[in-house]
Amino acid sequence: MKSSELKNQEYKYGFSTDIENFKAPKGLSEKTIKFISEVKKEPKWMLDWRLKAFNRLKALKEPNWQKPKYPKINYQDLYYYSAPKSMKDKPKSLDEVDPKLIETYNKLGIPLNEQKRLSGVAVDAVFDSVSVATTFKGELDKKGIIFCPISEAIQKHPELVKKYLGSVIPLSDHYFATLNSAVFTDGSFVYIPPNTRCPMELSTYFRINASETGQFERTLIIADKGSYVSYLEGCTAPMRDENQLHAANVELVALDNAEIKYSTVQNWYPGDKDGVGGIYNFVTKRGACRGKNSKISWTQVETGSAITWKYPSCILQGDNSVGEFYSIAITNNHQKADTGTKMIHLGKNTKSKIISKGISAGQADNTYRGLVDIGTKAKNSRNYTQCDSLLMGNKCGAHTVPYIKNKNSSSTIEHEATTSKINEDQLFYCNQRGLNQEEAVSLIVNGFCKEVLQQLPMEFAVEAQKLVSISLEGSVG
Amino acid sequence: MEQLFNIDLEKISSSTKKEALERKKNFELFLKTGFPNKKDENWKFSDLNFIINKNFKQITNNDDFKYDQKIKLIDDFDHNNIILVNGILKSFDIKFEEKEKLKIENLKSNENFNYQSGNNLQNLNKALSLGGFNIEIQKDYKCKKPIIIYNYFTSALENKIINNSNQIRLNQNSELTLIEYNIGEKSKFLKNTFENIKIGKGSILKNIILQKTKSNGFFYKNISGNQDYNSSYQNFILSSGIKFNKIEINMNLEKEKSNCYILSGLNLGKGEHQEIKTQINHLAPNCKSYQKIKNVLDNESNGIYQGKIFVKDIAQKTDAYQLSKALILDDQAEFNAKPELEIYADDVKCSHGSTSGSIDENSVHYLMTRGIELSVARKLLINGFLSEILENISESKLKTFLEKSINEQVNGI
Repeated sequence: MKSSELKNQEYKYGFSTDIENFKAPKGLSEKTIKFISEVKKEPKWMLDWRLKAFNRLKALKEPNWQKPKYPKINYQDLYYYSAPKSMKDKPKSLDEVDPKLIETYNKLGIPLNEQKRLSGVAVDAVFDSVSVATTFKGELDKKGIIFCPISEAIQKHPELVKKYLGSVIPLSDHYFATLNSAVFTDGSFVYIPPNTRCPMELSTYFRINASETGQFERTLIIADKGSYVSYLEGCTAPMRDENQLHAANVELVALDNAEIKYSTVQNWYPGDKDGVGGIYNFVTKRGACRGKNSKISWTQVETGSAITWKYPSCILQGDNSVGEFYSIAITNNHQKADTGTKMIHLGKNTKSKIISKGISAGQADNTYRGLVDIGTKAKNSRNYTQCDSLLMGNKCGAHTVPYIKNKNSSSTIEHEATTSKINEDQLFYCNQRGLNQEEAVSLIVNGFCKEVLQQLPMEFAVEAQKLVSISLEGSVG
Repeated sequence: MEQLFNIDLEKISSSTKKEALERKKNFELFLKTGFPNKKDENWKFSDLNFIINKNFKQITNNDDFKYDQKIKLIDDFDHNNIILVNGILKSFDIKFEEKEKLKIENLKSNENFNYQSGNNLQNLNKALSLGGFNIEIQKDYKCKKPIIIYNYFTSALENKIINNSNQIRLNQNSELTLIEYNIGEKSKFLKNTFENIKIGKGSILKNIILQKTKSNGFFYKNISGNQDYNSSYQNFILSSGIKFNKIEINMNLEKEKSNCYILSGLNLGKGEHQEIKTQINHLAPNCKSYQKIKNVLDNESNGIYQGKIFVKDIAQKTDAYQLSKALILDDQAEFNAKPELEIYADDVKCSHGSTSGSIDENSVHYLMTRGIELSVARKLLINGFLSEILENISESKLKTFLEKSINEQVNGI
């Protein structure tokens, strides 16, 4: 990418769609929850579940141990449900969807029209609190794969939802997870039947559009015995000078011999140069390797959000199960990130690998916080952790806070971390070859992140590489 | 909490009325929250409140400093000595040094102490402390021989608590090797020590903490210090056989070119619990810190390392390193680590590593093919693992002595 191009690229997804919205009354109350449940035409058990979460929430306090501090959120001043008016009666096909919405997704580079779409990726597009469209449904149906908005799954596949919802992230896990359980609006549901390899990448694209609205989506992915699925998640939001809350819950369940690969390219609006506005991205992501030989792999590229606060985790219950976590977290200007993972080893011969790359520039703060816990029964388990941080300038910070627990003698844990700045020799070498400073930095940073970038599916890798360069724009020199 | 203590503050001699009032105030402050528990991030891995309540029914303040026995001194190398009985300075002998260059005295007042806020054990210490020792080395004086502090605990300490506050001052261009050596009877007691260290320009302090014999004591020691330009603090901890031990080191590298080394080898036997917690603050450019923590864990023991490196934005060219390694010999043993970095300067070299696992089977196999039997081979490897921390000690007699202590420890496994 040319440097001139770099300079002109501000947050290009910052536009907002002028569309008439249908909203729940402001504030968090039983009334709001009942409203959401009613709009979604949910069965009673679902409403009861939500109310149970809401009751629990009253007793919980917001956690405050995180590094990035933020002004108190007024939960009564938020809209918990906002949907385009045209979506009130669910359109039956894409032709009935408001052209403004289709236009929005075209602008974001996500055409919902199957013909125009890169073949091989099925998309569920979530706009504020509703799912707009899901592509390639027919093709997936043939294989018995369920890929639909979670609100639809609650109605059509209650047995699966009842069995797995809240089984990885319990109802009363912590404040934000419980808040999500009470007021979640939409998100994706995936079920892969036994011995099936999902023929295409499944993807959800989240878009926050309405102002003063929080997005609370819920994703549930179940990979039955011997199945495989690769799932991608992308997100953007308009530029606004208010902070918006995004508190999602993602639950993954992998049964015997199943594998789930979950990739995220998170590009929420990060706020402007002075730190005004931006999304608070407080997400709970957790996967359970329930079955033997199962595997869950998280890959995340975190470039957006004013504050990112999340720890995609793996609970390795099944014997021989594997957990992986690959992460790039880039913070520039006034962005703050506190992210990492938890690997809880419970089964025998379980393995986990953590590769985390943090890059801070401007006045940003970037923290890796992780937990590796090998239990007494997890014999012959293994963990390898590597977290590297790169600092650009002396106004930013890079922090590493790993928690390492080993409770048996046959397991091995290895952890290493480094913090440094961009190597002068490498920069000099690139300059010498005719690359200017910004191109050289972009090249070196991409090299620094390579181990993670190569874990991403093809369609995302190119995008992510560009994103890495753009996020650091203006941070050199 | 109040039921646990049976302490009469009146009995503690205070020099002024103000001091007596202070004691009362601090004791009340302590009782409000009591001993720290695992909800406190600092005590996450060592729930002191739980441990104390499990082991003590009632705690009284120690007022017994009688001592009639002769302490057997170490005869492996020449040294000066200071003898403390139940924490109080009893006598000292500095025959190898120029007397006027060294000041050793009983520390009564701990007013100048630089305490950290939020540490409730400091309130307890302030309330009950009877002082400790104060060592000051004059400008440009380099001590010829090490000083050994014999920390003797009598048998009268059962269910008692000792609160100490010590002070060590090294003025410009001075040098001191200080060895703390715990010995004593096997009574079950609590010791809560706060130590303050100031190292002047160009000075070197080598601080060796050695524990060889079995002890039923529960120890907490908090060392906090400040370092001036081009000064050096080298801390070695060799410890085994203590029921509970937590050593907390907070060092501020305040001026350029100062350096701080923390090397520790812990060998934990049945039911023992030891924690090393460090915080090295790099507050000036061109400073260096190096930490190497080795743990050998056997039989239901619990080893913990919490280390933090903080680098201020102006502290460019910092070189900071942290390594913790643990050998877990038994399935009931547990090792927890939290090596933390907090960095605000960009031109730095900071890294940490942490490993835990069992003895390398390949190495054992190699030794066995050379005709060494299994138990000897294992001991040989453990010995090598722990001895690595002695690489920075240059005095050969002292080094031999410390190697001998490690040998004794390993043979005890």
